[in-house]
Amino acid sequence: MANKKDRQRFERLMLVHHDAAYNLALWLLRDAADAEDIVQTAYMKAFDHFSSFHGGNSAGWMLTIVRNTAYNLLQTKKRNSNLVNFDEALHSGDELCQFSFGSMNPEDTYSAMMTGAQIMDAIERLPVEFREVFFLREIEGYSYQEIAETTQVPKGTVMSRLSRARAQLQKLLVEKNRRKQANVL
Amino acid sequence: MSCEEMQHKFEAYLDGELTLSDQRSLEEHLAGCNRCNTMYNSLRTLSVSIKNIGYTHAPASLRRNIKRGLKEISGEHADAFHWYHLLGVGGGSAIATAVVVWLVMISTLPSAQTSVTDELVAAHVRSMMVSHLTDVASSDQHTVKPWFNGKLDFAPSVRDLRDRGYPLVGGRLDYVHQQPVAALIYQHRAHVINVFIRRGDTVAQALPPRATHQLGYNLIRWRDAGLDYALVSDLNEKDLQELAGLLAGQPAPKS
Repeated sequence: MANKKDRQRFERLMLVHHDAAYNLALWLLRDAADAEDIVQTAYMKAFDHFSSFHGGNSAGWMLTIVRNTAYNLLQTKKRNSNLVNFDEALHSGDELCQFSFGSMNPEDTYSAMMTGAQIMDAIERLPVEFREVFFLREIEGYSYQEIAETTQVPKGTVMSRLSRARAQLQKLLVEKNRRKQANVL
Repeated sequence: MSCEEMQHKFEAYLDGELTLSDQRSLEEHLAGCNRCNTMYNSLRTLSVSIKNIGYTHAPASLRRNIKRGLKEISGEHADAFHWYHLLGVGGGSAIATAVVVWLVMISTLPSAQTSVTDELVAAHVRSMMVSHLTDVASSDQHTVKPWFNGKLDFAPSVRDLRDRGYPLVGGRLDYVHQQPVAALIYQHRAHVINVFIRRGDTVAQALPPRATHQLGYNLIRWRDAGLDYALVSDLNEKDLQELAGLLAGQPAPKS
């Protein structure tokens, strides 16, 4: 049974990550109320399993539990709405994803700086695995290795996901820009 | 190496995951290849745009609820803090309601003034993360200044202040408050200082340096000749003031 000392130690180590936890949940779930619920649940779960934390990267440990809890919710929602699962092979074969920076023309890149809302709008249309890798890499500044540990996939998968996520986002923005220009003309 | 081989390394470079020798050969290639340079910059802009989204603050209720939940499952009494007990029972409730309303109001008031400060501090913190400090790493002002040509619609004055104890480390293009800014990086002992310069309102009058602090960082901001300056660092305020004085007070050196 956990006692007051355990709780205080847990709070000291893990509560500082609650902003990161909330933001990760928000990126994954795209809903503020869901994000709040999931983070709350994840913290209770984390405290239950606190004995399995043996020091080291406390943020990574906490975020792993948050993302697993968030994925559980997404799975439940998917089951209820008959949506298909993210399939690594499927998504890498799909036309959007074959597109990579190495095969791009400079003319097809969209290089204007955009507002946070514009970018977020496009990011929200990406698969959850892409949003996750963006959040951990760009917002949290995690290395490939740290992302691999947090998301429990090999480093190679992290790199290809990140690359496809970028290509897909770039493509969305280019298209968005084209549409905007077409509307202007 | 061919352009195509180089392009496959863009992302690892951007993410700070390239070995030093690969990094160097890529940088040399980028300096000489316009096409690759354009592609890399577009990739980098995308990355910066995402970084700039930053954090959304978690609602205050979240932290409170987590703490309460932890107390409950750790078997302690969830002795929720009823602050209205302090006001005495009875007549307290009207005051209590008023206090609650007031607390909610001040905690939800948007503050446009602090958001620029927030962003400046965030930009400083980001810059300290892996391989993100400089786009052009040089202590030579004649290298750093021209690097900004074509990237900004103003020409920031760049000076190495090594002889005054503030060596120039390099420059970077950043994006603060929906505006491109020049970031000059100086060092003082073990501290890194970001000097952000952006185009301000040209007709607005000059403002003297003013110090603030946030999240343990010191900031000094001023406006001069149509440019807004902001220094951000964990350096103590006194030394930061000295650097501000050096940057603001003296005319640019003859070159």
